[in-house]
Amino acid sequence: MTQSNDPEKKERRYGRIAVAGLLTTSVGLLAAAGVYAGLSATATGSEAVSSGTLNLTLSPDVGVGFSNFAAKMAPGDTDNVYVNLNNTGSLASAAGMTLSVTGAPSNALTNGSVAGEGLTVTATQCSVAWTLATGVCSGTTTPILATTQVSALNVGAALSNVPALVAATGQLAHVQVSLGLVGTETSVNGVAPASTIQGLSTTLTYTFTEQQRTGVATNQ
Amino acid sequence: MKCLTHSSACRTAATAAVLLLGVALLPPNAGASGLGGRVQGTEAVTSANWGATASVTSMTFTTNTFQTSNVTNTGTVALVAESFVVTISKPVFGAPTFKVFRCAVPWVATKCSGGAGTQIGGTLAANSTTTVTSVLALAVGAVEYLQVEPATVFTSTTVMLSPRIAAPSQVRAAIHTNQ
Repeated sequence: MTQSNDPEKKERRYGRIAVAGLLTTSVGLLAAAGVYAGLSATATGSEAVSSGTLNLTLSPDVGVGFSNFAAKMAPGDTDNVYVNLNNTGSLASAAGMTLSVTGAPSNALTNGSVAGEGLTVTATQCSVAWTLATGVCSGTTTPILATTQVSALNVGAALSNVPALVAATGQLAHVQVSLGLVGTETSVNGVAPASTIQGLSTTLTYTFTEQQRTGVATNQ
Repeated sequence: MKCLTHSSACRTAATAAVLLLGVALLPPNAGASGLGGRVQGTEAVTSANWGATASVTSMTFTTNTFQTSNVTNTGTVALVAESFVVTISKPVFGAPTFKVFRCAVPWVATKCSGGAGTQIGGTLAANSTTTVTSVLALAVGAVEYLQVEPATVFTSTTVMLSPRIAAPSQVRAAIHTNQ
């Protein structure tokens, strides 16, 4: 085989070599690109989460709990009922439980239309179950609502000492709810005053409301 | 119906559907912060009536003849005492006086079970207003019998009797119920 020394031929050969090199390089790059497009990497992590519950239950402590007062209530009378407030959810409650009391129908017993008269509510917590026969707490009592006119309880009133009242999960509060009647009016020859609390009926609805504890930010 | 994705109507419908789905998936209390627990109990109550009614509230005396009035507990709660506002007019002539007596049974020929009964208050003068109180337990519907006994009446004199029942002092002792 003889090698040509013709410069023109040399240039053509070098050109073919360059073209071949370019083609080879292109194919290589394409192949590499194809391999890159076919691969992927995935990192996974798992985190289980369950939402909590906030359940407040109301049940009789001793006696029948909230019920009707059969007799006709006179000024100074009190009707004590004993209920348990129980946080049965999985979340603790926040401070600030409220109690609202509304009457249906609304009348002078509940709406404050006769100044200084009407129904009142007092709430007291006992560290143990109340004694029904005597209405006595054999443990420690904690006042959670001072005597308050029902007319002032139409919107929720904050119960004091609430952190100790069903604040934690599963905690039980033994509460005496005492309904009273304040009456200072005088009847004349069998006739009550024009604005009176006498001879009225109403059904009271007691509503205890709690809120969940504040949200917790966890870093782990 | 075929929805052309490039049409304006179709995009509007799709947007509305997405918004509606989002609203539907929102929790009911999305505006409230956190969970709340609530329980309710109910209690029905009726208040009593207290009052006493006199059968005779105005007596006119022209002589010294005794007159009576029956006072009934017309309320729905027992009473422990009853007050009476006694108003005596000013006669044209003379200075009569009056006494009020009570009896647990009807007066018979001005006698209370053969006796004088129990005086309520003192001796009342003409042209006066006095409140006297009878400390007598009176069940619902029970009657207290009053007798007004004048002295030295010469001309017409009027005695007005107005029963007054004030709570809580004249209503039975408070009852405390545990149930």
